[in-house]
Amino acid sequence: MTTYALGDLIDDRPQDGVFRINRALFADPDIYELEMQRIFEGGWVFIGLATQAENPNDYFSGFIGRVPIIVSRDGQGMLRCFVNACPHKGVRLVQKKCGNASRHVCPYHSWTFDSAGVNRNIKWQKSGCYGAGFDEENHDLAQVARFEDYRGLLFASLNLDVPSLADYLGEARKLIDVVVDKSPEGVLELVPGRVTFTYAANWKMQLENCSDQYHFTSTHPSYVRILEQRAKEQVDEVVQSSIGAADFWQEDAKGVSGGTMSFANGHVLNWGVMPVSNAQADFERAEELARLHGEAKRSWMFNMRNLTIFPNLQIAENASSQLRVIRPLGAGMTEMQTWCIGPRGESAEARKFRIRQYEDFFNPTGMATPDDTVCYEEAQLGMARQERPWLQGHARGLSASVEGGNAWSDLLDMHPSRSVLADAQLCDESVFANYYRAWAGLMKGALA
Amino acid sequence: MSALSTADAAALLYREALHLDRFDFDSWLVMFTPDCLFWMPAWRDDGTQTEDPDSELSLIFYRGRRNLEDRVQRIRSGFSVASAVMPRVSHQIANILCEAQGDGSVTVNSSFSVHVFDVRTSRSHVYFGRYEHRLVQVDGEWKIGEKIIRLMNDLVPTMLDVYSI
Repeated sequence: MTTYALGDLIDDRPQDGVFRINRALFADPDIYELEMQRIFEGGWVFIGLATQAENPNDYFSGFIGRVPIIVSRDGQGMLRCFVNACPHKGVRLVQKKCGNASRHVCPYHSWTFDSAGVNRNIKWQKSGCYGAGFDEENHDLAQVARFEDYRGLLFASLNLDVPSLADYLGEARKLIDVVVDKSPEGVLELVPGRVTFTYAANWKMQLENCSDQYHFTSTHPSYVRILEQRAKEQVDEVVQSSIGAADFWQEDAKGVSGGTMSFANGHVLNWGVMPVSNAQADFERAEELARLHGEAKRSWMFNMRNLTIFPNLQIAENASSQLRVIRPLGAGMTEMQTWCIGPRGESAEARKFRIRQYEDFFNPTGMATPDDTVCYEEAQLGMARQERPWLQGHARGLSASVEGGNAWSDLLDMHPSRSVLADAQLCDESVFANYYRAWAGLMKGALA
Repeated sequence: MSALSTADAAALLYREALHLDRFDFDSWLVMFTPDCLFWMPAWRDDGTQTEDPDSELSLIFYRGRRNLEDRVQRIRSGFSVASAVMPRVSHQIANILCEAQGDGSVTVNSSFSVHVFDVRTSRSHVYFGRYEHRLVQVDGEWKIGEKIIRLMNDLVPTMLDVYSI
């Protein structure tokens, strides 16, 4: 194993105007192992939405790091989260992605658990001639150490020693509120239909790309040209684009077009001004949203917002509305679980519009995401160990970054730790430092 | 109105596949009606696919050939890195079953596999599933009025474009 000092990996010298990342951070399998232990299995991670298990005994399965889990609503209606492994032989108890069951029976030796994770039967226990020690053990499913809900977004930690979820999310909660409050019922839901893809590159490529305004016109010109042509021709058969109706990304846009915000614990926002227009599905409720939440918050509801809740949740509201879960499978392999999200209670027409916009842009079978994932893979090739270890991709915007917020964060009474106000060509990269400072915090004691 | 034999339907599907294998997109596009449906549903859970494209997500949902023309334009644009080094593809179609519909159209069920060699990364992959074509006669010529692609292995390695299904 290569032993790194933190300074070998992250060159963070604000006084000298320097922030650099070593390529090893994207490619070294030992670092990946540390990330699994310290970040994905050692801290808060997003695991799903409460609406994925709405009724008693509903469940869905997933992973925290490499550990299989079940989120189950018990018979009394309380959500719980267990390790999805039978205490007997470790067999994964539930194989289905989701379902409804009041009893979970292990397929290997029939140990049985209820939807609250309580062991209800050990097959032939009385005639099993167990030793005294066996009776003293807890035979229930192991509850994960921490499991909390913020506005229907479920987070868990395998490590007990983490702050409360409210403290972990901190001021970034107000950006989750912006998403959830678009629903007249205050409920964010997944549109049925899960889309999963992999790419052969590090998970942090996706982490950064969500906050990377710099790439849009370079990586997606083929899509941009189609938007321009569609706008010119006004054809009915193709879906109207929300991005096409905004100019935050266009190089000749005037004035403040957006920016970035950094929050404690590694959460990041990249945003752009978008008009309150019928190019967005939420337009049908625009007046009502202003009345209920005020014009300031409504303008944020219509702005382009790419929010990362470190380390594995991204909510992107730009071309449509997407929830992504990042699942690293190795230093050079990542699985993306993606969903179209929508405010519960919107009209059928608005939902249809949201879905069509989503498929066009976000799907790995659409016209934009493949150009991103191919770039990640090409970037991964450049992460091979070489003479010049330091990347130059975290420097843009450094001298525009200020402590605290600005007039736009004030609209939400939101207090980021740092922010950048940008015109269309600034395209801040310094915000990525927030990811790596949180990363460094979780690595304390693990690096030389 | 002439009837369509199974052999004729098969020949039409093979011709479509050949156009895609050759990236002869112009010939491929004119096989579709202008108002065609081109639909690849997503999977709702382990065993069921999404059924209502207006309230559930699809991997691809297009009504209107114009959408396919936009896809082709993107592929050919020279501005899509995912289309810069084109994968090599080979379609196989089998298990063809035709069913004449009351309105004169013909529904064709078939199985497909598409072998994809991604030249950029030297990786091979096979996408497989079922097609449901609805063929309609326009001015004496059989066209694709609907194509539904039921993709069985929906875990997409990096990307999937219209020529690899």
